[in-house]
Amino acid sequence: MNGYVEAGYVVVLGTLSIYGATLVTRERAARRRVGAATSVAQPGVPTEPQVARGDAPVVNHGGVEDEERGSGP
Amino acid sequence: MPARTVPPDRAAVALRVLGVTALVGVVATVWLGLFVTPPDEFMGNLVRLLYVHPPMAWVAFLAYGVASLASLLYLWPRTRAEHFDRVAGASAEVGVVFTGLTLVSGSIWGRPTWGAWWVWDPLLTTTALLFVLYLGYLALRRVPGEFHVRARRSAIGALIAFIDVPIVYLSVEWWRSLHQAPTVLNPTTHKTYVHGSMAWTLLLGFVSFTLVYIWLMAHRYRLAKLQDREDSEGLEVALAERRAEAVAG
Amino acid sequence: MLRDAALVAGKDLRIELRSRVGLNQIGPFAIAVLLLFGLALGPDRQVLAPASAGLFWVAVLLSTVLAVQRSYAIESADAARDGLRLSGLDPAGIFLGKTGAVAAQLLVLEAALSLGVALLYGAHLSGALVLVGACVTGTLGLAAVGTLYGVVASGLRIRETLLPLLFLPVVAPVLLAATKAWDEALAGTPGRAGGWLDVLVVFAVLYVAIGIVAFGPLLEDG
Repeated sequence: MNGYVEAGYVVVLGTLSIYGATLVTRERAARRRVGAATSVAQPGVPTEPQVARGDAPVVNHGGVEDEERGSGP
Repeated sequence: MPARTVPPDRAAVALRVLGVTALVGVVATVWLGLFVTPPDEFMGNLVRLLYVHPPMAWVAFLAYGVASLASLLYLWPRTRAEHFDRVAGASAEVGVVFTGLTLVSGSIWGRPTWGAWWVWDPLLTTTALLFVLYLGYLALRRVPGEFHVRARRSAIGALIAFIDVPIVYLSVEWWRSLHQAPTVLNPTTHKTYVHGSMAWTLLLGFVSFTLVYIWLMAHRYRLAKLQDREDSEGLEVALAERRAEAVAG
Repeated sequence: MLRDAALVAGKDLRIELRSRVGLNQIGPFAIAVLLLFGLALGPDRQVLAPASAGLFWVAVLLSTVLAVQRSYAIESADAARDGLRLSGLDPAGIFLGKTGAVAAQLLVLEAALSLGVALLYGAHLSGALVLVGACVTGTLGLAAVGTLYGVVASGLRIRETLLPLLFLPVVAPVLLAATKAWDEALAGTPGRAGGWLDVLVVFAVLYVAIGIVAFGPLLEDG
């Protein structure tokens, strides 16, 4: 019976973690691409380490593959 | 949440704080839920899943509400703004994740409780339909087009789909009530005997996962903004190149 | 608006009468669906007859997808959709016209399917008033949603797969309510179908209203 409880928690927490990780990773990648494309440096845009390090404490997995997406959400 | 008028540093910090808070909340919920709270008289340890499943459902429908509201605001001329379209899209994507998790956690809870992986409970059935409606909406969003065209089309699509949800719920509920035999553990009632530490844990669960939702939304929103900027910059670069070619050739 | 609606509906129905795609393709498709259900659920009439209402309405829902696709295919074939947009016809009228035409074709189809269901599944067609009432109100709702989503998904290369995905979940309440109404009628207790017919009416009114308002913007965007 207890197997069900563990399974439930693992699935929920695991899925949310993975989703959060992919989001942050894709955001970083997009930020890099946008930063590279702009010739004028944008003042005030936070550099990557500042943004990425602390605000995603859930993320312990690196190198999650970006999925190919069409434009927009 | 959208870091437009706030200097980026402050927004990033706020987001980080939100993330940490959400994480702490979730960890606390899990710890309380798995270890501290007592087993239920009737359900035994299965009650622990009720610290997770209802918050999933709550967020699923919250996200749906946010997406609908944002779509409405986008369509309304006075409040039309790009960020509402992005909010709708972000909320829908996060929402579909939570909706899927609602179904899965509900199923996992249901199997030992009712002996079946699925029951045609009004809430579960409506959630299942919401899941498919989300997927349709997200598919519609992916159809290429200029920003405003896409946004308006998606917003209308959202309202067509989401206005349906109350109708679905009421219909299914009525449909089920015609066949409902009273059971000792009514599947639709999750509020069995929740008291004391259980109640607090459940509340913490609701709050924590709502924070997680907001955090995920914020990142999804920012990603959308970056992608749109990337697209428009890509377009500018392409135009510039073409102009350069025209001048040279 | 209504004049434009009549114009568009008339045009669509005339095209159908000439080309008979509905008759030649959608009709047989619906019959095929009934047959396949029969094969899937087995020859036992004790199983099929009680399921008649549900199977009937599933066949109708699937046929609606085809009917809507056809409704828009006749436009884009000649780049006539742009013609529609530029014709100066009131978009709400276009919406009502297309919805009406689709609904009319579906009603004819449903008459045939009723006979099919009676024949193949042994359904006893009683409570005719309820049966017809559910058909009219249900079909109106289906046609409205279909026409709305049809314009959204038309003119796009992925239309064929997008339309069913958008359409079918939204009309789930129609399927549910119409099936229950038909169940009551077929079971000889048509009086109990009142509430379900109300649901169908509310749904139809709601989505026709939405269509009248939303069709214009959607048509422009295409």
